[in-house]
Amino acid sequence: MRSQSNLNMTQVKEQTYWGAVGRKLLHDKITVAAILLLTFMISISIGASWIGDNLLGFDPTETNLRYRNKPPTWLLESWPQFEEFTQSCQLKGLSGCQWSWWGEVISHALTGIPNCFNAALGQCHWLGTDQAGRDVLTRAIYGGRISLRIGIYVAGISMTLGVMMGLISGYYAATLIDDIINAIIQTMGSIPLLFLLIILSRIFQPGPEGLAFLLGIFGWMGVSRLIRGQIFSIREREYIIASRAIGASIWQIMFRHMFPNVISIIIVVGVFNIAGAIIAEAGLSYLGVGIGPPLPSWGNMMQGSLGNFTDAPWLVLTPGLFIFLTTLSIYLIGDGLRDALDPWVKEARE
Amino acid sequence: MTRYIIRRSIQSFFLLWLATIIGFTVYQLAPGGPLQFLSDDPKGTSADFNRLTRMYGIDRSIGAQYLAWLAGEDWLPNNATWRTGRCLSDSTRCGRGILRLDFGKSFYFKGESAISLIIQRMPATFILAFSSLIISVVGGIPLGIFAALYRGRWPDHIIRVLTVLVSTVPDWWIGLLLLIVLGGYLGVVPLGGMETVGDGSLLDRLHHLILPAIVSAIGGWISMSRIMRFEMLEVLNQDYVRTARAKGLSERAVVVRHVLRNALMPFITGLSGIFLLVLSGSILFELVFSWPGMGRLAITAINSRDYPVMMALFVISSFLGIMGILMVDILYSFVDPRVKYEVTK
Repeated sequence: MRSQSNLNMTQVKEQTYWGAVGRKLLHDKITVAAILLLTFMISISIGASWIGDNLLGFDPTETNLRYRNKPPTWLLESWPQFEEFTQSCQLKGLSGCQWSWWGEVISHALTGIPNCFNAALGQCHWLGTDQAGRDVLTRAIYGGRISLRIGIYVAGISMTLGVMMGLISGYYAATLIDDIINAIIQTMGSIPLLFLLIILSRIFQPGPEGLAFLLGIFGWMGVSRLIRGQIFSIREREYIIASRAIGASIWQIMFRHMFPNVISIIIVVGVFNIAGAIIAEAGLSYLGVGIGPPLPSWGNMMQGSLGNFTDAPWLVLTPGLFIFLTTLSIYLIGDGLRDALDPWVKEARE
Repeated sequence: MTRYIIRRSIQSFFLLWLATIIGFTVYQLAPGGPLQFLSDDPKGTSADFNRLTRMYGIDRSIGAQYLAWLAGEDWLPNNATWRTGRCLSDSTRCGRGILRLDFGKSFYFKGESAISLIIQRMPATFILAFSSLIISVVGGIPLGIFAALYRGRWPDHIIRVLTVLVSTVPDWWIGLLLLIVLGGYLGVVPLGGMETVGDGSLLDRLHHLILPAIVSAIGGWISMSRIMRFEMLEVLNQDYVRTARAKGLSERAVVVRHVLRNALMPFITGLSGIFLLVLSGSILFELVFSWPGMGRLAITAINSRDYPVMMALFVISSFLGIMGILMVDILYSFVDPRVKYEVTK
């Protein structure tokens, strides 16, 4: 009996926790697709200047005042028809829409696409131009640099703060230190943070790093609460008491024994935080208090559409789709990680 | 229970005081002082600047400025250390302090007091906030209930898809897209504003309200249905539900009489968070839908560096948020007798 189980043990390949997590992640098709999508988004923003120079032929800050708010080059011919269609809807109501005009709109667009492929460098605006005549696609690709960077910085700052605060308040639960941290969290939870954030970023007009700092110090409270709860539930476990008994220091207990228990939560929440930060940056820049122009970010690209969003919908659509693709891939990776990191996921889901 | 209410009230009072300090700090943080924008004026001289500094009392100590802003200056000693220039020369023009609802005069809207600007815009914000709250409750509760009762079926899928949607695109962007398509192209809804000029009928107002209300309700809708689903599942696993089923009650009776009643209680707490969210989130939605409320005023105030209005908006929206949470907490303690007042965790 005993020898048999030993035999089985040798046959089973040794598995580490992280190895199992990685295997589970790669087994999940959605997560793999999301990782590929995110890799693509990251690589185009890293290679933005190469793509801009060699594939598109535009500079993100180069203005062309005679070519403002132009639709995508391949839609140039069908755009007037599309506008006539919308006018027919506006005039006669929904029933008066001339849906038949769509045939021409589509056929003109289809003939436009090959022309655009064959056009020389810098002749085709795939996604139109903005209010200063800059190429929207080039700016969106460059914008990823700012938006992704801010996302990662914010997640870094808010996770560091949140984990520190959570560890400390969980370890010192029901003492003065815990009360103080709770009071800070409660205060920040009851004032209009978004409004304060807007005021501060208007006053200081920070760059990407400064904005990330502001977003980070306003975004750690949820993490801290989560970590505190987790730490609270393990602080009286035998191994913690044992290590306290052999004289381990507070820092040793916190980081050697408690931290590994929450690391999976930290990873998952951190990933979701990146997506949240990208969306928050977009909101602030859309309001005109985040990243200022000439630097392109997904949020401030949309700000240019404020007065004319119905005439130039590509100004709204393009950055929004870039945000959507990036945050969707991040979100799905986070979702996959949550499942992969949690051995009891089947029960937790129900 | 009385003790709990008193303790929470004192706590809220303290939070409110903190909010006034934060709001006042913003005023002090402005680089070059809150009147910096005056030096942008090419015709202004430094003598003008000094005169205005004295008039607004920015040359006083920080403590004196805070005290005068908080409680008014009419009861302070009549000298330049304590009073603003306006108040020194003419005591009828003394500030009365935010405790007496005097937030000073707006820099941008010349001659208007900050509080009257806010009060004018409050109804618009509240109409939008409450209609989106109603939509999220009416849409969220049934969805959450059905998702819990029919796990893994379509209500669950709706919740999942919508959750992914709101966590992966900015909700105001969804509003912007809908506005372009429905308002700009199809002409089904108006392009913005609260009413057509010259037509203030109820129908016209509803027509303007419908898209902003639905879009700003999406976030609340999701969190409502998720809280509801979670609570329902918690309660469905309780012993008394099994007992109710075992004694032969119909499924409908079990759900309505035993599950729903208990699942709804923690839900009230969820309301407070959404209350705060609605007020704070109004800024972006009001910009997208040109909604003439406090959020638009906030944008104007921030862009024109109108500090008195900014501070007033900050303090008033903090007040509304803190009071909202307090009311929900008190309501909760009445509804659920099991709530522990003293020690949490």
